[in-house]
Amino acid sequence: MNDMKRAVLKPVSYTAGYLMLALLAIFMMGPFLWLLSVSLMPGKNIFSFPPAIFPTFIDFKNYAEVWEFIDFPRYIGNTVLIAVCGVLANIILACLTGYPLAMFRFKGRSFVFGFLIATMIIPSSTALIVHYLTIRAFGLLGTYAGVVLPSAAAVFNIFLMRQTFMGVPGEIRDSGKIDGASEFLIWRRLMLPMVKPGIAVIGLLEMMSYWNSFLWPIVVLDDPAKYPLASALTYLNGQFSYNFGWIAAGTIISVLPIILVFLFTQRYYMEGISGAVKG
Amino acid sequence: MRFKRLHSDTFSAWSFMAPGLILLAIFVVWPIVYSIPLSFTNYSVIGETKYVGIDNFVRAFKDHNFLISLWNSLLYVIVVPFIQVFSILMAILVNSRLPGISAFRTAYYIPVVTSMVAVALMWSWMLSNNGLVNYVLMELGIIHEKVGWLSSSDTALYVLMFITMWKGLGYYMMLYLAGLQAIPSDLYEAAIVDGGTRFQIIRKITIPLLKPYVFFCSLISVMGAVRVFDEVFVLTKGGPGTSTLTSSLYIYQEGIGEFNFGYASALGLIVSILIALLSIAVFKFNQKGGVNPY
Repeated sequence: MNDMKRAVLKPVSYTAGYLMLALLAIFMMGPFLWLLSVSLMPGKNIFSFPPAIFPTFIDFKNYAEVWEFIDFPRYIGNTVLIAVCGVLANIILACLTGYPLAMFRFKGRSFVFGFLIATMIIPSSTALIVHYLTIRAFGLLGTYAGVVLPSAAAVFNIFLMRQTFMGVPGEIRDSGKIDGASEFLIWRRLMLPMVKPGIAVIGLLEMMSYWNSFLWPIVVLDDPAKYPLASALTYLNGQFSYNFGWIAAGTIISVLPIILVFLFTQRYYMEGISGAVKG
Repeated sequence: MRFKRLHSDTFSAWSFMAPGLILLAIFVVWPIVYSIPLSFTNYSVIGETKYVGIDNFVRAFKDHNFLISLWNSLLYVIVVPFIQVFSILMAILVNSRLPGISAFRTAYYIPVVTSMVAVALMWSWMLSNNGLVNYVLMELGIIHEKVGWLSSSDTALYVLMFITMWKGLGYYMMLYLAGLQAIPSDLYEAAIVDGGTRFQIIRKITIPLLKPYVFFCSLISVMGAVRVFDEVFVLTKGGPGTSTLTSSLYIYQEGIGEFNFGYASALGLIVSILIALLSIAVFKFNQKGGVNPY
């Protein structure tokens, strides 16, 4: 059966197929490779004609210098702190909220569903302004709590966890009840271990989104020393524009961790993305 | 007994959901609700806040910059069909079983997971006067002199659209790939038995069956296009002049930059209504398309 499908969708020939794939790969990966090669060739003028695509020599001087001049450990630490808080908050809140939606019969269930779906449909272009006012009213400007809170609960994650909890047999909850465990203990000890795949997907998607977010941290945090890496990058680009090699090295340092994480976890990641269509 | 069980379920269900629902209420519902009364006030850092009726809306439609920003945001929707066409072609390409195909899928996806800041900066260097893009295009004979892609008001907005598209292609490709793989293979078998050509099969089977995915992807990319912000903020800040001033950027400048919360809310409300109308348009367009695939 699959052979038939393959026969139809297979490109005209292997050669043509690989040629198209390779051209597309150059288009999608070329900019990264160019940046990498520039960052590895200190002293070479990147704005010279013709520009360097492949490095003619390799030297880590740019990396050493930019590490010296810019407090990377601090920015990376800031980013990790924000990402960890955000990821944990998202996981906990999605597991708490998605659990009864999958397993409980309760009053107001359809109301909650309507509420969640409505929040997904109604567009809000004023969110940034009202979030700013809310965080200011809470006295959280300049704090990481203020950075994380607005995105700590996400409807998408809640639905994803509900979907995962649906796959857990209801008898497990009943058996916990017979043993006299409280609802919370059942959730914590019996249920959470069963939904690890869903937790992994949320952890991954949220980790990436916090790692890459730059605008909201700039809005909330008053002091650039508190910035995460992505925000710091926009700010440093202005400061060090005279030394392009540094900025290139800094950019590579900032994107490398996320690309590595993605390469090692892409299977879970893709599951999460396709969950977005089916959900 | 049964009633009691339901009752206790209700209590614990709401206890579980309370933290999440409260946060959603504060950070998702409240911004929508609060922006309505806010947009009828002159709330800002200076002066006394008072109700000003529809003044903000009258001002908005006389505000030259806002009208330009709306126009630019609408213009940005041009990117949507390009994204769909290219990502569907990419999905068809990577749907083959060639050895090593998953490495290509991964490679095409990497721009999606990279931060927009890094992507935008990277492209701005490549698009600079003496950058790689000018060099390649001149070598290929497509252009004859260097083009200031981001510094010219004729090209800047389109260059930003290109960057948006480049970063998003892998994402839409994966969505369409999921769609392609959901098409039952006996349809293809039947088509082959009936002597269908490859082109006919793509046109009569693949495209119609992909329609729900086209709809979903168009919808999210239209919303993304109208609200485009990151790439504009990092690269052009609306310039040169107002050529890349998009409505999200203008709302940001008025709200967070100038602290004109009331006026910025009114602008946001107008844009939200616009997005809602566009979404309805996508719905209608999708319905009109004819054949129901299932």
